[in-house]
Amino acid sequence: MTIPLKPDSFAAALPLPPGQPPIIRFERVAKRFPARKGQSEVTALQEISLEVPRGAILGVIGRSGAGKSTLIRLVNGLERASSGRILIEDEDVTALSERGWRGRRRATGMIFQHFNLLSSRTVFDNVALPLEIAGADRDAIAAQVTRLLALVGLSDKSARYPAELSGGQKQRVGIARALATEPKVLLCDEATSALDPETTRSILALLRRVNRELGVTILLITHEIPVIKEICDRVAVIEGGRIVESGDSFDVLTRPQHPTTARFVEAVTGVELPVGLAERLRPEPQPGGATVLRITFTGENATAPVISRLSGTLGIDVNILAGRIDAIAGRPFGSLLVQVPAQEPERSAVLGALRSLDLRTEVLGHVA
Amino acid sequence: MSPEILRLIVQATADTVLMVAIAAGLGTLLGLPLGVFLATSRRGELFASPIANGLLGAVVNATRSTPFIILVVAIIPFTRLIAGTSIGTTAAIVPLTVASIPFIARLIEGAIREVDQGLVEAARAMGASPLQIVGKVLVPEALPAIVLGLTLALVSLLGFSAMVGAVGGGGLGDLGIRYGYQRFMPDVMAAVVAVLIILVQTVQSLGDRLARRLNKRLRQA
Repeated sequence: MTIPLKPDSFAAALPLPPGQPPIIRFERVAKRFPARKGQSEVTALQEISLEVPRGAILGVIGRSGAGKSTLIRLVNGLERASSGRILIEDEDVTALSERGWRGRRRATGMIFQHFNLLSSRTVFDNVALPLEIAGADRDAIAAQVTRLLALVGLSDKSARYPAELSGGQKQRVGIARALATEPKVLLCDEATSALDPETTRSILALLRRVNRELGVTILLITHEIPVIKEICDRVAVIEGGRIVESGDSFDVLTRPQHPTTARFVEAVTGVELPVGLAERLRPEPQPGGATVLRITFTGENATAPVISRLSGTLGIDVNILAGRIDAIAGRPFGSLLVQVPAQEPERSAVLGALRSLDLRTEVLGHVA
Repeated sequence: MSPEILRLIVQATADTVLMVAIAAGLGTLLGLPLGVFLATSRRGELFASPIANGLLGAVVNATRSTPFIILVVAIIPFTRLIAGTSIGTTAAIVPLTVASIPFIARLIEGAIREVDQGLVEAARAMGASPLQIVGKVLVPEALPAIVLGLTLALVSLLGFSAMVGAVGGGGLGDLGIRYGYQRFMPDVMAAVVAVLIILVQTVQSLGDRLARRLNKRLRQA
């Protein structure tokens, strides 16, 4: 799935306040589900150490069964850690009682893949539910719900029932409901996985607004790399219950270290060789042939006129095979496949020029 | 049909309606919490207590598998304790109620179990207590199904009420047997059956209509 980008996606991500302690911290957390009839013990998560910076959007990406659902549920106590510690705002929540968790959960919003709205309640009453649970009075509820429905753009649907809404509208109600008690943290459980690309984009834009304007920290789980690319400042890749890679989204997505990450990234940021060419590619240089390079542009140089400069200053023909320019967490990122002469000194001149421009260049192979 | 007989039919109809209404009311009052508990007390559920769940389930099954006419006779001492007497329309309310509690409990358990577990998870994530989850999520969401279940229970109770004539309980069943069958008065029998049909039809269509009105799931924009 490809999510077309709006121009404002290129706006730089807000810098995170430096030096602040993370709002959520996992310290070597493991989760095991005890053995049951006919089933041995299942280890869902192990050695999870992760920090969610205050005010950030952190995305956990993994395939289904990787443990990401369990991970997000540890943050509001819907699942309990088997070992390790979880700190939320510097409070160790690992040993909280069910009653203790109830108070915490009111300070944590959650939205779901299938929305989980009450079919028997109107949009208004769905958003009011967390406030009723928290014991707010009627006037306070009415004011807050009205404000939130305006925020998510559903003021006119107040008296409707969920069955009368589209998927995107339902998720907007879910977001309004999750924000009703003014939580500091919003947990998103595959929040856009049941939506079409266009609707996904508008929900992600809303989540980004919630993050930037209300300062709500967002922890989301997804199996879709576009979600990470579009809104996440930071990313953690989870595989087989372990975090195999994590860090700044831009760094992780542009320089994936782990094969799982690379596979996720390939589909979105990678550029494939034209079909016929891939078959003709040889590992050793072919006399009189050409060399195929992948040039990766990141940050400021993504928009520099590299190719025309090469042809112009070196007088060497550079044949563009395929290319793509994109943005990750608001920063431009491009990838270009080109063909340059294989013979020396032209080849070395091109590689040298690219290196001097600080561009990552990979030799993919040679063709006759 | 003589005015005398007509008066008997009216009286019997009133007795039946009274017995069934009171038994269904008390049955719902006690069967609702029991049904909610049965639906939420298995391992890992809201009020997890598997042992209590198993015991109550067994009692419910035992009561439900006892034929109603045997139940009526078997609990006569209990009936006397509650109603002060073991014969008559008032006394008949006791076995009807006892039979309706497990029946209604199972119907309500089924209705509650149909509620999407995702809603329970969402409510837990909001910090709802188990009682709030029952009161604000499970029962309201299951309400259309509960209303249909209670309609079914009312119709079944109308049938059960015909048997309480065995302990001197009045009502349409009793009238039909004593006059229609034993005294060979086919017109009384026909009238009794007609009144029962009308009662069942009325209860069923009111129940259906109410359930439909409560169900907000099928509406389309």
